[in-house]
Amino acid sequence: MEFKITTNQILKVLQFLSWIIFIGLCIEAGAIAINTFISLFISPNGINYFWEGSDYLSSLYDYDYGHFLAITLTMTIVAVLKALMFYFILKLFLDKKLNIFKPFSLDLRRFILNLSYFALVIGLFSYFGFKYSLWLTKQGFEKADLQILHIAGADVWLFMAVILFVIVQIVKRGIEIQNENELTI
Amino acid sequence: MSIIVNLDVMMAKRKMSLNALSDKVGLTLSNLSILKTGKAKAIRFTTLEAICEVLECQPGDILEYSKDK
Repeated sequence: MEFKITTNQILKVLQFLSWIIFIGLCIEAGAIAINTFISLFISPNGINYFWEGSDYLSSLYDYDYGHFLAITLTMTIVAVLKALMFYFILKLFLDKKLNIFKPFSLDLRRFILNLSYFALVIGLFSYFGFKYSLWLTKQGFEKADLQILHIAGADVWLFMAVILFVIVQIVKRGIEIQNENELTI
Repeated sequence: MSIIVNLDVMMAKRKMSLNALSDKVGLTLSNLSILKTGKAKAIRFTTLEAICEVLECQPGDILEYSKDK
């Protein structure tokens, strides 16, 4: 018996995965933002709720309030942008703007371009976080684990932004060819 | 575009309506309309052959080149 996986089935699986990732990222972004707010304005005990990052961040809080704010703000921005990215992916699925029969559209081009910008900004903020923690280490503070702080992989995000931008150019040409094909009698 | 489609001229000469041509050639009215109004980007040889056969003419009677001003 042969199983044939159709494009629609793949898209449904991707949509399901996108929902899971989106919910996870929303929880992460919300938790980081709320914990930062609580730590800064209500009680320093809020730092203990930063999961694995609590040890490093509580030391940072004791070391310098401003450095703590810079790192947590970077973490919040990166987490929110990641969640926003998946919001746009889900929106594409839910608005049914992905037409398999006419795949190249201005909506798709705009969507990929937006993802490219998001990847670029996430990459830049992650890079800033990486450089900042490196600078803190040089100042004598303990070394940060960027993976735990969720700001690792700046180079990957920047690479992804470039690839997505190249795909945007291909989609742009695809739109032209598709329109030409539609007007061939 | 510098290629002009004289389909309406040939249809008038043969006293054929767009509906009749559409039936005989096997093209949809909207596609024929795109061709007639000059919005088409390209025409297939098979389509040109069918139109020429129905209108009893040569491709040159339907298509004309005119230098852009």
